[in-house]
This record gives sequence, structure tokens and C-alpha cells, in this order.
Amino acid sequence: MLPRFVVYLLTLTFIAALLAGSVNLLAGLAGLVSIGHAGIAAAGAYGVAWAAVHDVGLPAQLGVAAALTLAVSVVYALTTMRTTGIVFLMITLALGMTVFGLALKLSSVTGGQNGLTGIRRPEAVDEWWQFYFFTAALYGVCLLVLGVVARSPFGLTLRGVRESPSRMTSLGYSVTAAKFVAVVISGVFAGSAGVLLAWNSEFMSPSVASFSRSALAVVVVILGGIGTLLGPLVGAGIVVAGEYWLSSYVERWQTVLGAVFILVVLFAPRGVVGTIAAWTRRSRKEGS
Amino acid sequence: MSLDELALQALNGLSFGALLFLLASGFTLVFGLMKIVNLAHGAFYLVGGYVGIATFTATRSFLAAILAGAATAAVFGLASERLLLRRVRGQELPEVLLTVGIALVIADGCLAVFGGNPRSLPIPGLLAGSVQLGGFAYPSYRLFVIVLAAVVGVVLYVVQHRTRVGALIRAGVDDREIAEAMGINVPRVFTAMFVFGGALAGLAGVVAAGLLTLRPGADTDILLFALVVVVIGGLGSLQGAAVGSVLIGLVDAFSKVWVPELSYFAVFAPMAIVLMFRPAGLFSRSRA
Repeated sequence: MLPRFVVYLLTLTFIAALLAGSVNLLAGLAGLVSIGHAGIAAAGAYGVAWAAVHDVGLPAQLGVAAALTLAVSVVYALTTMRTTGIVFLMITLALGMTVFGLALKLSSVTGGQNGLTGIRRPEAVDEWWQFYFFTAALYGVCLLVLGVVARSPFGLTLRGVRESPSRMTSLGYSVTAAKFVAVVISGVFAGSAGVLLAWNSEFMSPSVASFSRSALAVVVVILGGIGTLLGPLVGAGIVVAGEYWLSSYVERWQTVLGAVFILVVLFAPRGVVGTIAAWTRRSRKEGS
Repeated sequence: MSLDELALQALNGLSFGALLFLLASGFTLVFGLMKIVNLAHGAFYLVGGYVGIATFTATRSFLAAILAGAATAAVFGLASERLLLRRVRGQELPEVLLTVGIALVIADGCLAVFGGNPRSLPIPGLLAGSVQLGGFAYPSYRLFVIVLAAVVGVVLYVVQHRTRVGALIRAGVDDREIAEAMGINVPRVFTAMFVFGGALAGLAGVVAAGLLTLRPGADTDILLFALVVVVIGGLGSLQGAAVGSVLIGLVDAFSKVWVPELSYFAVFAPMAIVLMFRPAGLFSRSRA
């Protein structure tokens, strides 16, 4: 049996991996890197938190979270669907910061700096180990769906949009509509991660929407391997383990993280999973 | 709202807009030439501001503080460009990801060296008082910031359009390959521009230290404003940055008075509107 602390870290890993997976869906397939996905996660998180504080039942809590996530995702999608690359990245960054600002300033709803307390997990998953299995199971389901989306005709459409938007247009696809749908689907995963986040800490503060959380999701994707199914999980494992174990030895964990990130971007742009996959492919070729 | 109050808020908006222009001009010039979205620009601003405060405390000279702050940020710019960004020249995504890594490291370094308490610059002698304007007194320092930004803006414009250095830069922007074929050392022009952009960020940091407070997280806060300004004005356009800065400065000042809970959100609204109708910004020369 695993010690409680390890189980807690694994729970955090699955949640971080889910958020990173939603970023990876856009970055890996469509080549759209979002540095503002914590804003969508925050919509789910604040939705469930706000409803919980106002003493409504579980279905209503999930309803509020879903509605808010969908609304914020649609705003993200509408403002970014005609952009690519750098401009997409900048707008998502600005959107994420805007959500952060709302969480901070709209204190009559969000509790401002003090946050929201009094959130309770659903009774069925109230115990820490129950919540762990619930998170793991939900992540498993999401992973399956993400894999299906990547292999689906829609996933291929997104690859086409990434490789050659003009060719996709001339083939009769609407590039703008494909991007819109992709951002909204990705938002659903990010919002789910947000709900898990709120239930995990049973407390909500603006930091859930902060720039560093959005940036961390991108760091996780790049570390693990952009465009790979398991990359976000591996990246999240590295980051969570690093944060909790390394930070007890090294005071400046964020500096280490930044430096590792720089090295990965420079020397292993395919990330851990992508690099290992390339190795095995090469050795297989040499073997045959 | 009386006429005096209106004028007061307008001046508040203009002085904040002036600060934004100092920051956004460096950001947009770097993008215009090198197509790099420098997300470490806020970190350059922060480190410049902190060094400026330290220098002022030691020497009691505002000029020394400005020079030291700008020089420090310029050195960080030089190191980032020469050691890191140069290795991935022309690859959009790795470039911007590297700047995220650089921002993480610098921000954490600032926390380590300067601590987590908010710091600001004691306003130096001559600028410390206030000026009587009609029915109210207005801080001289804020007026100084407006004048400084106007001077910097005019100098940048004249250099860009009337001098040999400006011609080199415009040649690099318009057609890099032809410029290189004509014997211009484009990589050196790039390095110089990145260093200069860093220096402008450092200058903005020192000036901001007398207007706002510097603390951990101030780098990403101000970066959001710079992003919104350049998205509105059009990436790479100096005139766009000027118009965007004034607009956002005014929106920020008046929304803080009229709708304080939505003040952060109000800044985002003009950006969304501009994006919907002119995705490339108001003054962009490039195609969207």
C-alpha cells in the first residue's frame, strides 16, 4: 500500500496531466499553443466552487461548472479561431490573464484574494483514497477520448489545418470552424481538470488562473513530448515529483524548472516520450 | 463627475499609458524586426526596476538608477539573444518557449535577490512635489513620465524613419534576405535590437518603480498590458503601440473609477473588439 503522501502526489499528477492533455490536444494536432488554459480550468473550478458555496446539489454544481467552462471556452474559441501560431499564443495569454483579473477583482462572486472556502467533494469520493481512484479513472477515460479524437477524421482535419490551411480550405474544409470546435473540445478537458482541482484542495483562490499555472501546463507538454498521447502524463509526473521532492533539497525550484525547460526546448524538442519513441524506432530499424 | 475629476482621471490614464508605451515600444520593435514574441519582456522590466531602486538607494541619483536599470536589462537581453535565442532563429514556437523559460528563471532570481516584499522608488527631489493645474494639484512625477514617453516616442520614430540605423532596421524588417545580400550584417542588427528592447524594458521598470510597486508577479501583470497594447496597435508598429498605450491607459483609469470590480476585464474588451474586426491590429503593415 502506498503512503498517503505519494497518493496525494499521484492525484496532483493526474490533474496536471489532464490540463496539459487539453493543451496538447491543440498544440499537438493543430499546432496551436495556448498559454492561457488555466483560465478555462479556472472557469470549471470557480463554477463548481461558487455553486458549492451557495449550497446547491451536486448536479447543479456540475451544471454551473459545465456552463461556465463552455462559455469561457467559446470566448477563447471566438477570439482565436482566425489566428495561428504566435498570435494565437498571445491572445490565449491575454485571455488567461483576464480570467485571473476577474477572479481577483470580482470579489463579490469569487471572494477575491481570500478565495472561496466551504467546497466539499461529492460524498462518494470524499475520502482521499476514493478521490485518488476517481481522479485516476476520470483521467483514464479522458486519455481514451483524447486518443480517439487524435485518430478520428476530425483529428486528421486538425493536422491538415496545421500543415496547410490553404489546402484544407481548397478541399472544402472550414479552417475557422475546425479551430473553433478544437478549442471548445480542449476547453471541456481543461474545465474538467479545474473541477478536480477545486475538489482536491476544497478551496479556490485566483492563483488557479495564474499565468504560471498556464505556463506550467505548456512546460509539462513540452517536457513530456508535444503531440504524444502519454507525454502530458510523463511531463506532469516529472514536474510534480520535481516540485515536491527536489524543492526540499534545492530552494530555487522555479529556476531549476526554467533551466530544464530551456534545455529541453534547445536539445530535446520532442520531449521525453517523443525522444524515446525516436530512439526505439531507430534501434528497430538498425535491428532489422 | 466634475470637469476637474475628469481631467484628473484622464491624466492618470495618460501617465499609465505613457509607462505602457515605454514597455510596449521595445516589445513591438523586437517583434517587428525579429518576429519574436518576447515573453521575458516583463521579467526584463522587473529586474531593471529592482536594480534601479537599489542603485537609487545607494547613489541617490535618479539618472544613475535609470542607467543602471536599463543597462542590467540590456545585459539580460544580450545574454538571452546570444546564448539561447540565436540557436533557434526563425523557429517561432521554440523562440517564444525559450523566452518563457528565461522569464521563469529571471523572475525567480529577482525573488531570491530582492525578496518578496513590494518595493517602490522614492521619488527624487525635483519631481517629488506636485503642480497646480486648474482646480487640483497633480504629482509632478506623473507629468514627467508623460513627457519622457513622448520624448522617447519621438526619438524612436525619428531614428526609425530618418537615420541610417533606422534604414538598416527597416531593411531587415522588409526583406531580410535582400538586406543580407546588400552586405548588412543582419544577425548583428538583430542582437542590437534585442538588447535595445531589453534596455527599454529596464527603463520602463525604473520609471514604473516610482509610479506603481514592484513585487513578484508584477512582471506578468504588466506583460498582459503590453500584450494588449501591441495586439490593439498591431504587432511591430510603433505608432500602433502609441495609440494602443494611450487607449488602454485611459480605459484602465476610468474603469477603475466607474466599474472597479471589472477594471481588469475592461482592458480586455477593446482587444476583443479590435481582434474581431481587424485581427492584425489597427496599424499593422503585415497581412493577418
